[in-house]
Amino acid sequence: MSALGGGAAGGEGINPVASVIALVIVLASVGIVFILYPAALIPLIGVIIGGVLISFGVHFVPVGGAPAAMGQAPGIATGVAMLAAGGGLAGLFGGAWAAGHGLWIALGAGAMGGGVLMAITCLMVNVVYVFEMGIPAASGKVDKDPITGDTYPAYRSQGTEGHGLPFISYVGGVLGGILAGTGGTLIYLQLLAVYQGAFASWVGITPEGVATLAVSLAGIFAVGMFLVAAVLTAYNITGTIEGPHDPKFKRWPRAVIGSSAACAACGLVAILLVVI
Amino acid sequence: MENLLFGIGISALAGALATVAGAAEDTESDIGSQGDPNSQVQLAPQMGYIHRIYNKAISGEPPAYGLWVALAAGIAWALMAIQYNAILALIVGSSVAVFVQGVYATTAYLGRTASLAKFEQPVYIDVLKSVTTVTMAHAFVAVFTTVTMCFLMIEALGHPFPLPLMGIVWGIALGAAGSATGNPFYGKERQYQNYPFGAGLPISASGDIVRYAEAGQRSSLDNGWFTSKGAGPASGICFGLIVFFELWRTVLFEPLVAGWGGVIAGAVLIIVFMVIDRFVETWARKTYGPYTKETEEEATT
Amino acid sequence: MSVKMEASAGGMDHNKLLAIGLIGALICIYLVYLNTLMSTQVFAFFGGLAAVIALWWGTDSIKKLCSYGLGTGVPSAGMIALGSGVVAMLFATKLAVISPLLVPIGCVVVAAILGAILGFISDKVLNMNIPVMTRMIAELTVVGSLTMLGFTAMVAGTFSFGSLILGSISVMGLAIPSYAASVIGGCVIATIFMLGAIAIQHPFNACLGPNESWDRTQMCALECGFLSMITVAIMSIVFLSFIAVVISFVVSIILWGWSYSELIKLSKRDAFAWLDAKPIREVGGEQ
Repeated sequence: MSALGGGAAGGEGINPVASVIALVIVLASVGIVFILYPAALIPLIGVIIGGVLISFGVHFVPVGGAPAAMGQAPGIATGVAMLAAGGGLAGLFGGAWAAGHGLWIALGAGAMGGGVLMAITCLMVNVVYVFEMGIPAASGKVDKDPITGDTYPAYRSQGTEGHGLPFISYVGGVLGGILAGTGGTLIYLQLLAVYQGAFASWVGITPEGVATLAVSLAGIFAVGMFLVAAVLTAYNITGTIEGPHDPKFKRWPRAVIGSSAACAACGLVAILLVVI
Repeated sequence: MENLLFGIGISALAGALATVAGAAEDTESDIGSQGDPNSQVQLAPQMGYIHRIYNKAISGEPPAYGLWVALAAGIAWALMAIQYNAILALIVGSSVAVFVQGVYATTAYLGRTASLAKFEQPVYIDVLKSVTTVTMAHAFVAVFTTVTMCFLMIEALGHPFPLPLMGIVWGIALGAAGSATGNPFYGKERQYQNYPFGAGLPISASGDIVRYAEAGQRSSLDNGWFTSKGAGPASGICFGLIVFFELWRTVLFEPLVAGWGGVIAGAVLIIVFMVIDRFVETWARKTYGPYTKETEEEATT
Repeated sequence: MSVKMEASAGGMDHNKLLAIGLIGALICIYLVYLNTLMSTQVFAFFGGLAAVIALWWGTDSIKKLCSYGLGTGVPSAGMIALGSGVVAMLFATKLAVISPLLVPIGCVVVAAILGAILGFISDKVLNMNIPVMTRMIAELTVVGSLTMLGFTAMVAGTFSFGSLILGSISVMGLAIPSYAASVIGGCVIATIFMLGAIAIQHPFNACLGPNESWDRTQMCALECGFLSMITVAIMSIVFLSFIAVVISFVVSIILWGWSYSELIKLSKRDAFAWLDAKPIREVGGEQ
């Protein structure tokens, strides 16, 4: 995804009025579900937590966009939302497979699915930079790596803002994959529980039918909500971020508030589907 | 025991298919010039550098491959639902998906290049005619192997997702892995071949892409050869390892430790890869050395 | 250095596009209901036409939104449109238990509310401060949901939840009801989701540049929509009678062929030069 466009119009800081309205949306959604369909109250809260995890996790993922593709900026040369989607959906794959083992094991499987994808991808990115392009990793935002203490100013090529994946960015990528995978799986599992409970009481339906419909519906809703949360976070980041050490990382509270409201609204609609 | 061996065998087969898919995906996106490096192909005419490179501005690779694989999976699912042979269904599905991909590629090239008329970039019809079919061929390899891998995961390993949903998941993952690994190699090494090796591209040099190649004018077709020397296999290994370890750790370890075995295996794998990455990073710093002399205030590790 | 995104100023007024798009799509989806009224399946292709009209409208919405410089690319706008649109659309199909005629209008209403919430979050909570964001994201969610509803109606011949969850497979000549062989059970929705997600953002993404022209971008939108209709017609072979599939397929191919040739003509009109096997023109603009 190319980061085209003029300068982003985003401003810094939290908008207090809007954040309060977002929290009101969350509470209203929870309240409506509590009145209409109390069995889905915990699942809706789970969906909201899933959205929060996704949004928070996507801030960790190091994305450099188009400049990274030319060795001008550190990070992975893909778009934020879709790289996070790749990790999160691989996590969803693992989590859905382990759904029969219970909530916590499935969440762990989802977390590891996303984490392993990001770990391998970030490693191969560094392999390409080091062995195929002869460029060592260097950060553009900090002079000293917070974890390993490596110094970067002398290792940046002239005229660039750094390149590759310094270790802090690597760790950020893995953490982002873990959190995004957990969040996506959590949304899927909660909706799966709601649908399995609701469909089982339909006249004339078989257990396989319940399982099939619940899995498919929960799956497509999880994919859709994951993309909504990831894109909202991408808007918050305005395109590129180096990882947890980047100053842009401090913007995470407003994305978390926004995603919680977005997932609350979408989750409410998804749950009302079984109410009517 | 036989179930376990069968599961590991399918994991290995899926990993092999994924490796081919990753390599083909990256080759296809470099021949067509898709994704983030394509911003340079778009920028070059604005800086006065007219070129004959295919400008396939569909979207990033993850959503594009999400569509091709989901489409192939959807059509294959439909044909299997009316009792077609599974392999025939997968081939027909992949063919339709690749036809759609080819059409999208042509509209992207025509659209972007026609919109660059102000900078006097012409539409080269022979580029359209020669390169489109080559990208379609590589895309067919990538899409067919991925959708077959999805089919194996459902039928042989018993994953609950239906085929189209699996197609979205692995299509986006394929695009993300191939794009992440392959974009810098194409963007820096190929597009800016005439700049010094072993350093990033200075920001002032943006747009000055290579337009005259080894013999004559650079055609996007040559990128296929180039990608297969470096980033193609790297993307293939990346996606292959992802798929293989995802399946292997579940099939082999999940029955252990009351279901937690797969999670523990995943954590161990992450730590192993982190250690390997740290080794690669320090090797580069030691072997390549800094670009400029380090000053005394910075302590060297 | 980044490419400046410019949108053309000419073309139809956006509100007029909205009116034509919304009303046109709704009429076409309601025409699919003729299938249920006349116990046939041949009117399914109207669902595809509804989706194409919605995409035609949505292309202009994406253009208006992305001209402000979001920082991310155009494809993410398509993703958020379809991500929220699928939620609204699946909920709306369930409204069929109250009355099937509620489904299309209910889809628009729910999608508009959901999209307005998302747009409000993007604009105010995320502090992006783009004037048209709330309205455009609401419009995009409506477009996304109508696209999905249209293509789902085209693939299944109906838009009622009850019919979408139950299909039939033939075992030894007998038709046995099966949940796994249905639109939702087999998750054909997933393929339609991705078809819509790429088709909604491709026309503007592919045609952007200094010489972007409104009619060429809109023709590209029609072409993408008709191309998607072809694939949906192929997938409908599971759910519709043979004659309905043939009608859908032939209509889609004819319309796609027409729109594609028109697009080539418009590109020829707009391009600086249309060269075949000619060398690079040096404009002497280096440095």
